[in-house]
Amino acid sequence: MTILMEVVAEQWEYRELLVRMTARDLLLRYKQTVMGFGWAIFMPLVNTAIFSVIFTRVATIDVGTPYPVYAFCGLVAWNFFASSLRFSVTSLTSNPSLVTKVYFPREIFPFSAVLVSIVDFAVSATVLAALMLYYRVDVGWPILMLPVVFLAIVIFTAATSLLVSMANLFYRDVKYLFEIVIAVWMFATSVVYPIGRVGGRLGAVLALNPMTHLIDAFRAVLLDQRMPGMAFGFTFAASIALLGVAWVTFHLAEFDFAENL
Amino acid sequence: MSAVIFEGVSKKFRRGERHDSLRDLVPALFKRAFHGAPDRQALADQEFWAVKDLSFTVGAGEALGIIGPNGAGKSTTLKLLTKILRPTRGRIEINGRVGALIEVAAGFHPDLTGRENVYLQGAIMGMSRAEIARKFDAIVDFSGVQEFIDTPVKRYSSGMNARLGFAIAAHLDPDVLIIDEVLSVGDVGFQEKCVTRMRELLARGIPLVFVSHNLSAIVQLCTRAILIDRGAVQFDGRPAEAVAEFRKARREPIAAGAAAPDKPIAITDVQLLQADGEPSPLFTTGRPMTIRVGYHARQPIRQPHVAIDIHGVDGVYCAGINTRMDDCALGTLEGRGFVDLAIAKLSLLPGCYTISAGILDPQGLRPLDLQERAFPFSVVSDRRDFGFVYLEHQWTHANGAEARPVSRHDARLSPRPARSLAAVAVQEELG
Repeated sequence: MTILMEVVAEQWEYRELLVRMTARDLLLRYKQTVMGFGWAIFMPLVNTAIFSVIFTRVATIDVGTPYPVYAFCGLVAWNFFASSLRFSVTSLTSNPSLVTKVYFPREIFPFSAVLVSIVDFAVSATVLAALMLYYRVDVGWPILMLPVVFLAIVIFTAATSLLVSMANLFYRDVKYLFEIVIAVWMFATSVVYPIGRVGGRLGAVLALNPMTHLIDAFRAVLLDQRMPGMAFGFTFAASIALLGVAWVTFHLAEFDFAENL
Repeated sequence: MSAVIFEGVSKKFRRGERHDSLRDLVPALFKRAFHGAPDRQALADQEFWAVKDLSFTVGAGEALGIIGPNGAGKSTTLKLLTKILRPTRGRIEINGRVGALIEVAAGFHPDLTGRENVYLQGAIMGMSRAEIARKFDAIVDFSGVQEFIDTPVKRYSSGMNARLGFAIAAHLDPDVLIIDEVLSVGDVGFQEKCVTRMRELLARGIPLVFVSHNLSAIVQLCTRAILIDRGAVQFDGRPAEAVAEFRKARREPIAAGAAAPDKPIAITDVQLLQADGEPSPLFTTGRPMTIRVGYHARQPIRQPHVAIDIHGVDGVYCAGINTRMDDCALGTLEGRGFVDLAIAKLSLLPGCYTISAGILDPQGLRPLDLQERAFPFSVVSDRRDFGFVYLEHQWTHANGAEARPVSRHDARLSPRPARSLAAVAVQEELG
């Protein structure tokens, strides 16, 4: 616990560097791409279009809200998670000169990947708001819980990011494995369809997926005017614990990074 | 309170390639499960100690030089100092912000402009945004890349890159300064700025750790030096003595018969003797020094001349003495023997020098044998004059009263400024 307090304090000391590194990544993206932040909107829009065709024309499902809003909402939250991890997984290995030559808390790499994705999330959230207006989705007071739900998603994402970035540094297989896992994981989460409808033993296993509860809670407060349930509370608490464990593990391994890169 | 404390620090590395795939994890886990966790104290197969039981401290106002042969553990020590590596065992304590003039441009991103990189690199070095903003103009001014500050650094020359990085590091206000062979950056003007900046920090009492192969720079900038070899401290004391110790260990006598056998005469050795006749690599300004040139004449050589040159490590030609110009006749050299050159008072100021010796034909034109810059020595002194030579001097004032010498404070506590920037900058070429 004391280690955790120390690492959090150290990270706080280096907060300006975290902001700087995030700004660096955003600036680079803006400089190197024509569409810049447009990509943050484009990708979920394309996916929404594809899944809208599948689930409203081919295999129709009823999700309670207009399907494109349902899908886009899920995709925005999922993309935040997935893109954070995608940047994190190579964040340490793609900065060898910094990792082997200069000291600062290494968490900055995965954390700035998460912050960059938060900016992308904010950009695509404006499109989500526009879609909700277009489909006349009513919002109620549960939307006040949105920051809490989003915080839970960020915490879970940050914890996972720490773990994958560290794992890839020691074992480069992780980068390849990651692509498979993230693809399967998306379809095991209620991103574009309500996974809760899978019953039986498989359904029980799928209910252990924290991302499902987080995305369900995100949709509940945003589209369904419902408060998040118990499952969300448990997931939130578990995410905080996971972040603590991941951070301490990361810190203990941190000193071996330079030797293993 | 010491700014840096190394206490019994050891660091273990392994030779050979380390595999980074999951394929290697599984057998490793099995090995662990059956043989228990590896003992941190013991050396496993392929492992070695890069640094072993290293202890030293650096106090306020001290400038510690670290010297040693390649592979002695200097780089590992630096990485331990900058927290990039963690010791396998032992304790490292560093009080305050470390300013490392190492890899000063490591955080630069080629696609960002000079301006953006200053903010990024500054943050990496631990400066706040406000601090960088305040010092921004000074940094750019120091680097000399004003015109290109809004150009991506990928278009910079490597020199501009290094200068900008160095300028940022130079404006960090550290509590401990760590330097690694940095002074080879930029032209003489830029190096001058760097040395001035370092001197300012030293004058404020900021402790300095300087790792270098440039022995002259160590002698001139440091107040203390340690010689490390095979990961441990071999000598700890005055820089010139440490340098002398280092050279003594490396000094190789001229191999017998190495000189071409067809030469009629060969220089077998050059010994540098102190007043008591003892060979030494270390001399003091104002004290005697004897240069003894040993020879082996395969046939009698009539009236040859002997020449001695002294160079500073940066190539400055300090002195050239030969018997011909002194109208000194040596007679006939036969078999083995030696010729002594006695210097009553050595006028050289502290630094590292090398001696070349030659035996010339009777006309003093053609060398019969020449050993160029083969014999190094160091000079120490409490004198704090600038330059290469000590000039016997006395101050007087126009009213006729003799100026009285002012009391000097301990030369060991106040670092001697480098005599010449070139001397600091030029890498020592001696083997």
